[in-house]
Amino acid sequence: MVVALAWRNLWRRPTRAILSVLGIAFTSALLVFLISLDRGIDLAMKTNFLGVYDGFAQVQARDYAIDFDMHKTVERPAVLADELRKIRGVGAAASRVVAFGVAATPSRSVGATFVGVDPRQEVGVSRLASTVHQGRYLQVGDTDTAVIGDILARDLKVTVGDELKLLGSGLDGSVAADRLHIVGVFHSGTGDLDRQIVEMPLARAQQTFAFGDRANVIALGGESLPALEAATPAIASKIKRNGAELADWRMLEPSLRDSIVIKTVTSGLFYAVLVLVVVFIILNTLLMSVLERTREFGMLLALGMRPGLVGSTSWLEMVFLALVGAALGVGLGSAFALWIEHRGIDYPGGGGALLAQFGLPSRIYASLDPVSAFTAPGAILLGICLAGLIPFLHILRLKAVPAMRSA
Amino acid sequence: MATASLVAKRAVAADPGDATAILKQAFDNYRAATSQATMVMTVHRPEWERQMTVSSWTRGGEDALVRFVAPAKDAGNASLKLAQDTWMFDPKLNQVIKLPPSMMAQAWMGSDFSYNDLAKSEDLLNYYRHRLLSVRSAEGRSFSRIEAVPKAGAPVVWGKVEIEVRDDHVITEQTFFDQDMKPARKMLTEKVGPLGGRPYPLVITLYPQDAHGRWTRVETTAARFNLPIPGYLLTLSNLQNPRGS
Repeated sequence: MVVALAWRNLWRRPTRAILSVLGIAFTSALLVFLISLDRGIDLAMKTNFLGVYDGFAQVQARDYAIDFDMHKTVERPAVLADELRKIRGVGAAASRVVAFGVAATPSRSVGATFVGVDPRQEVGVSRLASTVHQGRYLQVGDTDTAVIGDILARDLKVTVGDELKLLGSGLDGSVAADRLHIVGVFHSGTGDLDRQIVEMPLARAQQTFAFGDRANVIALGGESLPALEAATPAIASKIKRNGAELADWRMLEPSLRDSIVIKTVTSGLFYAVLVLVVVFIILNTLLMSVLERTREFGMLLALGMRPGLVGSTSWLEMVFLALVGAALGVGLGSAFALWIEHRGIDYPGGGGALLAQFGLPSRIYASLDPVSAFTAPGAILLGICLAGLIPFLHILRLKAVPAMRSA
Repeated sequence: MATASLVAKRAVAADPGDATAILKQAFDNYRAATSQATMVMTVHRPEWERQMTVSSWTRGGEDALVRFVAPAKDAGNASLKLAQDTWMFDPKLNQVIKLPPSMMAQAWMGSDFSYNDLAKSEDLLNYYRHRLLSVRSAEGRSFSRIEAVPKAGAPVVWGKVEIEVRDDHVITEQTFFDQDMKPARKMLTEKVGPLGGRPYPLVITLYPQDAHGRWTRVETTAARFNLPIPGYLLTLSNLQNPRGS
């Protein structure tokens, strides 16, 4: 009876009800879209950053992330990588040997990171191959080849076709020395990579650095970061018996994690203020409505209706308003977010170049998921439910006769 | 006990200049004006152990040539240090490679020593202030414990170093502290004996802190001191093409 009464009361002033519903719906829709866009930008940042070199996640030897000590290795990485590729969400699993040494030419020498890679798998994990602007990337069947970053190439004064000498330490403490031929120069846009990285065939690196059948990491790629994150439990259980551990994107790029956290907190504050404003506007409207109906409530109380029941009716009116508005907001906001998720938004002029510095593409897309669809409307709904207690308590304090005498 | 306490008090009150003099005498005893030595370096890891034999020549405190003679896989590899610069030679590459500054912190030949340990061997004398902490007696000898703290702006990596020197000028222990003043590694002299006419630390072992089961031991099997070293010996040319060294 209370529900029916509340619903009927709500539409006794249809203009006010509709305006309130539209206010809630518009704010909810706006927040659904903005949060979806925010999450889309976050996802683009993560995907682009990780896709350059790291991969969406990495299987690493235990504690490797602490000091990148090349002596921390994963045993039989080829077998493990094969098993990992069978997991849904894992598209590529690329074993890597990562060793430090001197890259030298007859006249120059520079400290470098030598990365042994399997080119067949590597292209599914890292975009480095697509950034080769001179020569070519490593190919299956290569033996003594190398691709190097363009800053490193400039520092060493080498180009495609030149010989590069490698001097470092092997896993067994022996001298690691090798001659490689440069087949490609890449420009990833990430200074550290372009200044530091020499990629060479995995088997050659394992031989040169005395790794045997071992690697330091297995970089993982796939169709999307969320799909790979969904596969995390399966990956973790698969690698447990190898004594390895899974480094997710937060571990691989802590600075990216921190910047996303900061961005989320500042956006969250803005959204919270917006939710509060809407809740107070609705509360004000409903409180006015309750005050206008004081005589009516007094009469109901005089007829014997319990104060709690009268208050609940009024509280339910607010809840209905919020429910209808939030549902509409979720619908409208989701539809718009889905459209932008499909179509994307262009940044005209130099905006694209600016975004590229932050690892973002020039066109950004929204990302609608349960979090972006329901967080803000849920917060508005909860806020109104709580705010509705104010008119409820006001009604509880009413006395029948004074209420009926009120103007 | 009372005597030891008196000795300690005397030491603490000693002239700070004493500490520098003690340290300088110890360094002079270790390397002399010139030296030629044969050493066996053992690198121990929980999973493996590896031994390398090296011949070394030093001139003053700045210049050194270290040539690996065994095992066969590493034989012919050599490092040359002249003042602050270090070069490597690898016979497989047949090229002398100057070590870039970014590589100086890397392990030297897979050991617990870094290239910096080779290149900056004189830092302890030049870039640190020295203070005598205490003097203890054991086995009929006295041991001076010296604290070395970096001078302001000194280009060094350690927060401080504590060195113990025996009264016959043999360094028996060095503890290296990081910038948070936590011990980072300890170098212990595990055997002292006569060599080349002087008391000498025959076996020195470097133990990195918190690296269980990892250490590097250097055993000096033969040495001659203050011998004439021909000018060509410590040169880039001789690094690549040894002339009867």
